[in-house]
Amino acid sequence: MPRRKFLFGLAVLCLLLASCSGSQKGERKTSIRIGVSLYRADDTFINNLRSIFEEKAKEYERRNGIKVILDIQDAKGSQNMQNSQVERFISLGCDVLCINPVDRMDASAIIDKAMTAGVPVVFFNRQPVEEDMNRWDQLYYIGVDAKETAILQGKMVVDLYKEQPAAVDLNGDGVVGYVLLEGETSHQDSLIRTEWSIRTLKNGGVPIEKITGGIANWERSQGSALMEQWLSAYPGKIELVVSNNDDMALGAIDALERTKTDGVNVIGIDGTTSGLEALENGKLLGTVSANKELYATVILEMAVSCALGEPPPEEYPLEDGTYYWTPQEILIRENTEAEEMPAQSR
Amino acid sequence: MIGRRGKLLIALYIVFLVILFLMCSTDLIIREPEKEIYQIAVIIEDAKSDNYVNFRKGMDQAAMEFNADVHFITLYEKRNAKQQTELMERERQDGADALIVVPADEEQAAGLQPVIPVIFLRSGQGEGAGAGSIITDYKKMGEQIAHEMLKDSPADSPVLMLGDMGKQSTVDSLFLEGAKAVYGAAGRSWQIGAGKESVRASLEALTNREGAKVVILAGNPDILTEAAGILADNPAIADRVQGLYGRGGTLPILNYLDRGLITGICVTDEYGVGYLSVRMAVQALEGAFSQLPEVMDSYYVRKEDLRKPVYEKMLYPIE
Repeated sequence: MPRRKFLFGLAVLCLLLASCSGSQKGERKTSIRIGVSLYRADDTFINNLRSIFEEKAKEYERRNGIKVILDIQDAKGSQNMQNSQVERFISLGCDVLCINPVDRMDASAIIDKAMTAGVPVVFFNRQPVEEDMNRWDQLYYIGVDAKETAILQGKMVVDLYKEQPAAVDLNGDGVVGYVLLEGETSHQDSLIRTEWSIRTLKNGGVPIEKITGGIANWERSQGSALMEQWLSAYPGKIELVVSNNDDMALGAIDALERTKTDGVNVIGIDGTTSGLEALENGKLLGTVSANKELYATVILEMAVSCALGEPPPEEYPLEDGTYYWTPQEILIRENTEAEEMPAQSR
Repeated sequence: MIGRRGKLLIALYIVFLVILFLMCSTDLIIREPEKEIYQIAVIIEDAKSDNYVNFRKGMDQAAMEFNADVHFITLYEKRNAKQQTELMERERQDGADALIVVPADEEQAAGLQPVIPVIFLRSGQGEGAGAGSIITDYKKMGEQIAHEMLKDSPADSPVLMLGDMGKQSTVDSLFLEGAKAVYGAAGRSWQIGAGKESVRASLEALTNREGAKVVILAGNPDILTEAAGILADNPAIADRVQGLYGRGGTLPILNYLDRGLITGICVTDEYGVGYLSVRMAVQALEGAFSQLPEVMDSYYVRKEDLRKPVYEKMLYPIE
């Protein structure tokens, strides 16, 4: 009998002590905190996305009455800085991390820290390698399909060439001389965009000939400097500028304006605010634009679901339970008829 | 062979270990020494944070140095004072130890009786309230830029001032007032462009205008950025403009200045304001209330000044 009493007392004591640490579980959160680290906040596309993301967070807060605290940090192109930011986010008690990795090949340190702390991660824009993404079921990636982007970019020129060959082959010699502005070598999109855009042009029957190309690291100033060199090295030969993004395309346009060169077609990717302005002004032939509203919405909704411990939102179906591909559209000068590719069509 | 007494001792020892383990897991006996982290909320008057990039860098730096956890909050609607007051109350209830506020309505802010320390970032008008304030004198800034414009432009160049008419903020009004005072005293003519919606219309109208080229003064960073963008895309309009001036040190503005589309800007050390505000909030929490407001200097910057170390450090701060 005394033994039973002792065991009963012990069990009660255990329950009491255990309840001290577990009393908060099961309550729905009224506030969530999201740590966001951007690979470079001065990248136009990322900056556009950040603005929309902030807007969407406020809309969510108003609609659902759940306070959304955003900690947005600029990693300034430094993976070490981004790793420190992740540590700080975790120590500040962020419920979820939204990471735009600096080096997609080096996301493992971030994943390690997040896994140890049990904080889910939504990566976006720069896709970590598959081995890293497969390490935990609380890792997600939101982005655009680079191959689809490139095919759409090539397609806009192919379609134009089929309708009006003279609008592309400007000097009428039966060959379209092009130059290529490429993004960072370490970014997977840069390689894929280049390969598939050119392949689409060739397969589409556009008689292209590469004059030259160079890496401008997604930057307008670098695109402009390269283009200026090429214009003086190959006068009258460049008919088309194929750029991996809008910023470099705008750089090429800056160089064309400086050198008072008319008529060269420039195509970009991203549909940034300044890219769309250039399109409206007739300076850019076309661009491929991801639906940025949707892009930012999906990042936010995914982050919120993770923070609240809920399953990913059903309206944004994930490929392999991990990846979401944002739909894209072609925007082209004059007849700016949008041609949208559905999500998930890889 | 262990005796009955020995078994009892072992059982007690195991029970002791279990209790000790449970107590450890619930922080009842082993408790990490807790560093006090101050919760500070920054509530600005705008619905977006684009004009606060350098401010946020300074704020983040101070947050790390002074062990503060700083949240940056924008309003749902620009310059909505009621909403700002509600957010201040919400943050207080959610556990903020101190607030840093850029008032949507400075008069109303002066009348507030905050329960927790509040640092106000003011524009130099009216009485200060709260635990401290940082002042940027926008009227003086307007005077400063107008003097520079007078030096640069021919005497017959009229000035076109562009502001958010109707919904103009105190800051914009003070800035343009300062400029008007200088122009009035110099006997120079100026006119006010219509609201922000028609910045493009106001600039496009310049192409039909005869006579001397126009000098443009933008009332706020958003208008300055928009006007520079329009000039960049419309050489015909740019041809009718003697110079474009304004205030603000956002990256797009600095890029336009570097490209020569903006002639000159007035800026304050935004990074310094962000840093100081958090430092003042922490000091207030530690009982060191600042009696006097901190007054920030303003600087006139041209394209050729951008690479000077003093301005480079201020305009392109590195955390």
